[in-house]
Amino acid sequence: MASISSRRLAKELMEIKNDGCPVGINLVKADDFSTWWFTIQVMGESLYKNEQFTLQFRFDPQYPISSPAVQFVVTDGKEAPVHPHVYSNGHICASILGNEWSPVLSVIAVCVTLQSMLASCKEKQRPIDNDRYIKHAPENPKKTRFHYDDDT
Amino acid sequence: MIPMNSEPDVPLRDPPSQSGEEEGPSAAEQAKAIEQPPPQPVEITADTNLSELSAAQMYELNQAHETADVHRPLIAEIAPIAELRAEYENGSTLFVQQIDNLESQGYSSIRRTRAVAFAYVEQVLKSSDPPLAVATTLSTLEGTPALLETVGYQNLVFDDFYSVLVQLVRNVTIPDELGNKLTNQTLLEAFQSPAESNSIVVYMRMLTSAQMQLNAENFAPFLFHPELGEPMEVKEFCENFVDAIGKEADHVQMTALSQILRIDISVAYLDGRSEQLDFVKFSPEETTSSSPIVLLYRPGHYDILEGSYS
Repeated sequence: MASISSRRLAKELMEIKNDGCPVGINLVKADDFSTWWFTIQVMGESLYKNEQFTLQFRFDPQYPISSPAVQFVVTDGKEAPVHPHVYSNGHICASILGNEWSPVLSVIAVCVTLQSMLASCKEKQRPIDNDRYIKHAPENPKKTRFHYDDDT
Repeated sequence: MIPMNSEPDVPLRDPPSQSGEEEGPSAAEQAKAIEQPPPQPVEITADTNLSELSAAQMYELNQAHETADVHRPLIAEIAPIAELRAEYENGSTLFVQQIDNLESQGYSSIRRTRAVAFAYVEQVLKSSDPPLAVATTLSTLEGTPALLETVGYQNLVFDDFYSVLVQLVRNVTIPDELGNKLTNQTLLEAFQSPAESNSIVVYMRMLTSAQMQLNAENFAPFLFHPELGEPMEVKEFCENFVDAIGKEADHVQMTALSQILRIDISVAYLDGRSEQLDFVKFSPEETTSSSPIVLLYRPGHYDILEGSYS
């Protein structure tokens, strides 16, 4: 019997292929049930107009009980958006990816949440502890225990 | 925005005193836990005046207990309640008195577990008329996917979890592909498997959440942020404290779960505040259970009470 993670991801993928992604989000690759890439753009007026970012999802066999490891891709000339909750290595400080993860969320729901996080940004800046964090950051953002101090 | 630690392979749990956030052990930790030796009891010193602690402090105290218990299996064999008593003997006498109080009421054993889920399926298995119990339970469960969709859950986020629960209940009377019906042993094994156990717990969280959202006006007056104490919207409360993994169910969630599953639940609150120990009964108007599921609550955690009267 296929694992819960691959059954669930197969359904999510089928839905994306049948119904498409929400505006501004596009599937780049999903060749297996371990790593998926999406491009993400903020529609309308925002600080990120005309910018495009790439999001990487990594799934472990416990997905969706366990959260996916989600980060912006920062290789091959790609860059993470300049945002108070996004580190320059692509790691994202968002409670839904940490202690508020819920199996009710899907990959697309995470993309949409991050898209609106960017859309509501008022000032382009890196987290204050960016330099310190990226020096010692683990490869997998799920290994970081972020402290979530606001709702934005 | 402060990463608390960034070294790899460090357990992602800080002692509760250093962190206001709470999360359950990850599925991987739980899987690992099954192979580990049993935990050491945590000491609560006699100097601690538990009656002066706030609900949040009691919660943290018990979470500290739970944190020390990461090597505990997801669900254990039934144990004499004396084992629980022994854990508290060096600490508060009120806890010990409350435990004695339970024993005097016929609750002689305890099954350490994480959820109501086990007791729910076990009750079907132990029923005097299993085919009727299975039919009644399935009839309730089969109505729930539509309720989840009504509050906006996509079928794909709950379908797999739903199937796991329904299969298990069905297996009480219908043999699986190997020709075996559910037994006490295979039920225990199912709940010791993180994939199955977590699926069922997650589905029950979704049911709880749906019931609260469908009856928002009944629940709204009782929803407060556990740390800030501020009133919360039902939707927001559910997203943060019901759907999210590792948040423990409180009185409100238990009320909702008993309603949607149409079961009676009786909870003994072990809080170390007085010698008395009160049972709180959750009895929905529509109920299909012949006898209540009896649980023991310590702030932040539920176990199953077993005994001659349960």
